[in-house]
Amino acid sequence: CNGAWLQRKQHTLQPTYYVMSLYPQIMFCFGRARRSSRCGSPAGCSHVNAYKVDNWRPNLRVIYQCFVWSGSAETRRRKAKSCICHMCGAHLNRLHSCLYCVFFGCFTKKHIHEHAKNKRHNLAIDLLYGGIYCFVCQDYIYDKDMEQIAKEEQRKAWKLQGVGEKYSTWEPTKRELDLLRHNPKRRKMTTNCTIGLRGLINLGNTCFMNCIVQALTHTPLLRDFFLSDRHKCEMQSNSCLVCEMSQLFQEFYSGHRSPHIPFRLLHLVWTHARHLAGYEQQDAHEFLIAALDVLHRHCKGDTTNDNGKKANNPNHCNCIIDQIFTGGLQSDVTCQVCHGVSTTIDPFWDISLDLPGSSTPFWPLSPGGDGGTVNGESHLSGATTLTDCLRRFTRPEHLGSSAKIKCGGCHSYQESTKQLTMKKLPIVACFHLKRFEHSAKLRRKITTYVSFPLELDMTPFMASRWASTNYLPPGLYVLVRYALFAVVNHQGTLESGHYTSFIRQHKDQWFKCDDAIITKASIKDVLDSEGYLLFYHKQFLEYE
Amino acid sequence: MNKDSQMRAAINQKLIEMGERERLKELLRAKLVECGWKDQMKAQCKDVIREKGLEHVTVEDLVVEITPKGRALVPDSVKKELLQRIRAFLAQHSTL
Repeated sequence: CNGAWLQRKQHTLQPTYYVMSLYPQIMFCFGRARRSSRCGSPAGCSHVNAYKVDNWRPNLRVIYQCFVWSGSAETRRRKAKSCICHMCGAHLNRLHSCLYCVFFGCFTKKHIHEHAKNKRHNLAIDLLYGGIYCFVCQDYIYDKDMEQIAKEEQRKAWKLQGVGEKYSTWEPTKRELDLLRHNPKRRKMTTNCTIGLRGLINLGNTCFMNCIVQALTHTPLLRDFFLSDRHKCEMQSNSCLVCEMSQLFQEFYSGHRSPHIPFRLLHLVWTHARHLAGYEQQDAHEFLIAALDVLHRHCKGDTTNDNGKKANNPNHCNCIIDQIFTGGLQSDVTCQVCHGVSTTIDPFWDISLDLPGSSTPFWPLSPGGDGGTVNGESHLSGATTLTDCLRRFTRPEHLGSSAKIKCGGCHSYQESTKQLTMKKLPIVACFHLKRFEHSAKLRRKITTYVSFPLELDMTPFMASRWASTNYLPPGLYVLVRYALFAVVNHQGTLESGHYTSFIRQHKDQWFKCDDAIITKASIKDVLDSEGYLLFYHKQFLEYE
Repeated sequence: MNKDSQMRAAINQKLIEMGERERLKELLRAKLVECGWKDQMKAQCKDVIREKGLEHVTVEDLVVEITPKGRALVPDSVKKELLQRIRAFLAQHSTL
């Protein structure tokens, strides 16, 4: 199961955050469950059972406390001094301790083996990792009671030292093991497999929907949510859009190659977002927002079982949509007279960006904002970059004399400036390039080329003090890095046109989705495209 | 014991005593996970197990077969970081 397109792959990193594999072993191909015992019968290693007499539990605990995990200063001192091989004096070489008497011996030179043979003490404990070895079975053994003790003692020791994994790795529950046993068929994601790619039939000007469905079904975290069957429906049958998305993910990752016909999805969209009903051409961006809104509303059942865990997003909702897509936009209004700042934070699902060539002037940018080479974009070609658009979006804007606001500091109506910055970054950042202009005077499409990067650093647009210095502490830097994973394009004019999308699969494979037709695309194809909606995914995820 | 191994033993003792060894272990574990090393190892272990058959393989077999590969695959940057940490630690406790 390889196929992470993210730069670095899996699991726990430093205590403060959690790195997830965003293209992981998808849930339907997780590894074989570890057998509870290697030695002989499923009842366990008989030599262990011989050990389990009298006070074996407290005895084993003491060994773990003193010689394996050594949480306190006292036990560490003792371990440092006494843990050497009683035969050769080595302190490394995989030191083991006899479980029956006080004897330390190294494993590599088989000194512990010698002891076991001579004294017939056939169990020993690895002093580095705490595994228990049986010399009769000639392998490490897995005993539930012993593992439990080892785990408990390890936690205690970690707590004493303030280190250790704060989050344990996933292990299948009993129910999941049963499911796996009863469903032996596995689907494996290999580097070149096309699972997850599926065309969508156009049902009459429904490319606005198809292109968004392609982007959503290739959103790593959303895919993980649906493929791990996490939606608990509380809606009446057949009317839940989340259930339909669930179904859609099953269709996409089923391995079928024929195009899928999303008629049920379309019908549900028509039912729940009336303004999109009918066979007219619609705006893909409008569809995206409507879809997220309906999904969010239909997710109610998924959020109730979080044991009152507080939502970590400005929408104060624990549903999967808000967990992935909601960011917080900080708006600072500064009074020009008393320089008092009033700050509000609003949730957002997407950022709409003005483009040069529209009737509102684009340049000049704020002072010091000459573009530079942030995000590896240069202005050599003279093209506008996504960074330019974001700079413009986050620049202080003078609100003018016609828009005086009552200042909370000096209690009078004053001119002020307003600045938007990112307070909370969403996991998926959707950028909407405002290519369709609908002003009182004119309606037109803006085709200005805007270059966008494969990897985006959001530091300069954040509401923290780091933004001004453009420097983040190394540990935090990774949390503001994004990778492009989908691009929606519009070809044609305002009146009539066609939507297609590029989506990323595996590490660096791109595919163009044009309704029912999926073709391989190069990175250049993607980056040279006009771009209407850009989807970026965080490369590293925090623990929550 | 020669001087070199005496030195090693003394350093190891100090690392254990101060709890630094546990912290280093944790750091190393995190770094190896982060760079994909753990996944590589896991995949290789699976291959070995599949090849020999689950019933005919012991942890020791895996250790023997995988250790050389595992050592070779540790990225230099990770080794360097660990080395720097150990150096810094020793500089702080230079009574050795």
